[in-house]
Amino acid sequence: MTRPRVAVTGIGLVTPLGNDTATTWAALLGARSGVAPVAGFDASGFPVRIAAEVKGFDARAVIDDRKLLKYANRYHGFALAAAEEALRDAGVRPAATTATRWGCVVGSGMMGVDLGELQQVHRRAVVDGALQPARLLADGSLADPVAFCRSQTNAGLGLLVQRFGIAGYASSVHTACASGGQAIGTAAKLIRRGIADHVLAGGFDSMINPIGLAGFCLLGALSADNDAPERASRPFDATRNGFVLGEGAGFLILEAWTHAVARGARIYAELAGDGNSLSSYRITDSHPSGDGPIQAMRQGLADAGIAADAIDYLNAHGTSTLMNDRSECAAVHAVFGAHAGRIAVSSTKSLMGHLIAAAGAVEAGITALAVHHGTLPVNANLVERDPECDLDFICGTPRARPVRAALSNAFGFGGSNSCLVLRHPEADR
Amino acid sequence: MSRRVVVTGSGALCAAGAHCADIWAAACAGHSALTTLSDWGASRRGGVVEIDARTLVEDRKLPKLLRRSDMYGLYAAARAIDDAGLIAYRDTLADRAVATFNDRTGVFVGAGGSAYQNQYDFFPLLDVAGDDLPTFGRELPATVNPMWLLRSLPNNVLCHVGIRFGFKGANACITNHSVSGLLAVSEAASAIRAGEVERAVAIGHDAPVEPQAVLYFERLGLLATECVRPFDAARSGSLLGDGAGALLLETAEGAAARGATVLGEILGSGCASEAGHLLAIREDGDGLARAMTAALDDAGLDAADVGMIVAHGNGTRRSDASEAAAIGSVFGAAAPPVTAFKWAFGHLIAAAGVVESVLALHALRAGVVPGIATLREVDPACAHLPVLSAAQAPRSDVALILSRGFAGMNVVLAVRAAHGGRLP
Repeated sequence: MTRPRVAVTGIGLVTPLGNDTATTWAALLGARSGVAPVAGFDASGFPVRIAAEVKGFDARAVIDDRKLLKYANRYHGFALAAAEEALRDAGVRPAATTATRWGCVVGSGMMGVDLGELQQVHRRAVVDGALQPARLLADGSLADPVAFCRSQTNAGLGLLVQRFGIAGYASSVHTACASGGQAIGTAAKLIRRGIADHVLAGGFDSMINPIGLAGFCLLGALSADNDAPERASRPFDATRNGFVLGEGAGFLILEAWTHAVARGARIYAELAGDGNSLSSYRITDSHPSGDGPIQAMRQGLADAGIAADAIDYLNAHGTSTLMNDRSECAAVHAVFGAHAGRIAVSSTKSLMGHLIAAAGAVEAGITALAVHHGTLPVNANLVERDPECDLDFICGTPRARPVRAALSNAFGFGGSNSCLVLRHPEADR
Repeated sequence: MSRRVVVTGSGALCAAGAHCADIWAAACAGHSALTTLSDWGASRRGGVVEIDARTLVEDRKLPKLLRRSDMYGLYAAARAIDDAGLIAYRDTLADRAVATFNDRTGVFVGAGGSAYQNQYDFFPLLDVAGDDLPTFGRELPATVNPMWLLRSLPNNVLCHVGIRFGFKGANACITNHSVSGLLAVSEAASAIRAGEVERAVAIGHDAPVEPQAVLYFERLGLLATECVRPFDAARSGSLLGDGAGALLLETAEGAAARGATVLGEILGSGCASEAGHLLAIREDGDGLARAMTAALDDAGLDAADVGMIVAHGNGTRRSDASEAAAIGSVFGAAAPPVTAFKWAFGHLIAAAGVVESVLALHALRAGVVPGIATLREVDPACAHLPVLSAAQAPRSDVALILSRGFAGMNVVLAVRAAHGGRLP
């Protein structure tokens, strides 16, 4: 029995570059940066005051259900809008007769209550920096059920399955910056196992709020180039000094190949392989040798049954931190040997920042578009080459190149590594 | 090309004990470990682990980087790995074989954690900054622990099990409310079946017993005041419990080759959503019924093959009634003995399904379905369920374990017990 193939038939994106796929793709090809001073709140006192925010977004413009949106915070709105676009793009959506054959797998961000709710608890139930449980529990004003619902780890998943009527396998995963990639990998396996014909798969996140930005500032992980926001994210550049926080959502419609072909669907790419490994080294750093990402890329290739020299494009994790960028390049050299120099490479984080739990999903969507169009987006801001990062980076203008197969990497804090392999639907197998 | 997946190690921790055998013994004795939470003002009850969490991890520096829930998860994982004799076995391998062993060992976690407490590290900053964001930003570096974000990562257990034991294979961290743990077991088993890994540790951990979570659950009318009475006519809600569970899974061939003691077999699983509101539950138990049917199909079993059911049985009015309806729709009037364990140590949320799977394997091996000790009068809506306050005997060596969670999530796992350390 041959394993079912998985087709990517729909893409939906809400990113710092645009609130839909077409706008995002056009901005990528035009090398327009989405990084700017933080506009969503007063970040003037923070060490880092720039970010890649989604701009002018209103979920109500896409999702006509005010009652549902009451339970959605900012990143849930991104997810609902990107998922709607992906379904519309695919030209297929769950119906009463197919709902149980639809799955949904999402990579979702870290959950908690927003600063307003935390300030409320602080005002009413905290003395000298410490919570007074009895005071909290006696205070009738502190238990807003809507805030509770929004703070649940699977709140975004719940909104998606409710909105779109998905009644099959449904799950929410979080492995930090690998979340979106791992969610799509898990989703593909549902089709391979035969328990779903279609899966709405993706990721969403926003940590551009006072607490989220604080967390990354404390770690010293972000570029503090507050005076040059558009230049701040420069993966693989010798002068890089940290990543830029982004936000958004990316969703794909994965579909059993035979279903997609039978209905004459446009297939962007085949999701041919999934590599998934654990670095087991340090929480935030990857091993300088590339150990961890090496296994993920090898597994992805083996899973896809693709020879290493059939890879034409790599959408790199490329965060613009010294540790990641060098480790990732070392991993590419270890996996591809002499072919490493023939792979065109770009990190689209150079323009849209790091979307954290959404990154792997958004970048998988971008990689599928690159495969489909045969056009490869740039690695912006790469001016001064780091000798330790010796790959064929796409600089200046996008590159026209037919792609037989491409990789999309996503590596997370905590050591999880995801590598998705996307093959051109007409590539020789 | 499906491979058989067996359980060769288990670990668990909750209010009822820090060892699987102790938790099993307490459940059999009808002892509930739910207690009154002190210092919380008016009486609230829950299941708390009495052991200082920091003593549960070997590395003394680690507790600074972890939440309470993470330490529970790491503890349970270490117990399961130790119980399986896995590291002692790896120590016998040559270096090159060790690298392959590690690359082919997965880690699958169902993660919870004290979502609210974690943010309280910002209270001293709010003391200084109040509502003023520029001050919040300026005073931040001097006031909040620089490691705050890392301590808050939902995937900490995955990360640190990897670092501690060197496992580098396929992995997942599932954040899907109270089906997370059982889904982690299901995903681990699927990865082994599909040949992605040779073995994996599956862990569920959570620490929902914190004031803000209790407050929310209470306001939603989900909490009992005294005890949890699954399927009882007078049931009034659930109670939260802290804890963790872990199972070490591997291929049947691998376990046999290294002479491991087999506790049981993972036969199959099913997962279904009800596509409703976050807090909605369908009265007919539709999602749960479909998850049970999917698990039976996946396992190649008929309903009549099932010897016992470990119900979700959280003690809330709506969940228990719809769960009874779902069991009725799959098994008709011929359901096998049904039990539930949340009365004994509370609802462990993300950890619930794993700890309850550990207990299901104990029950099958012992040939005893423990009674629901708090059950006094079965709800007429659940009259078709074979539930008792006294022990029953399982009808076969196969059990279904049921987990349900917010957003209408339902996951069901089918397991078979091994006797004398071997598969039948």
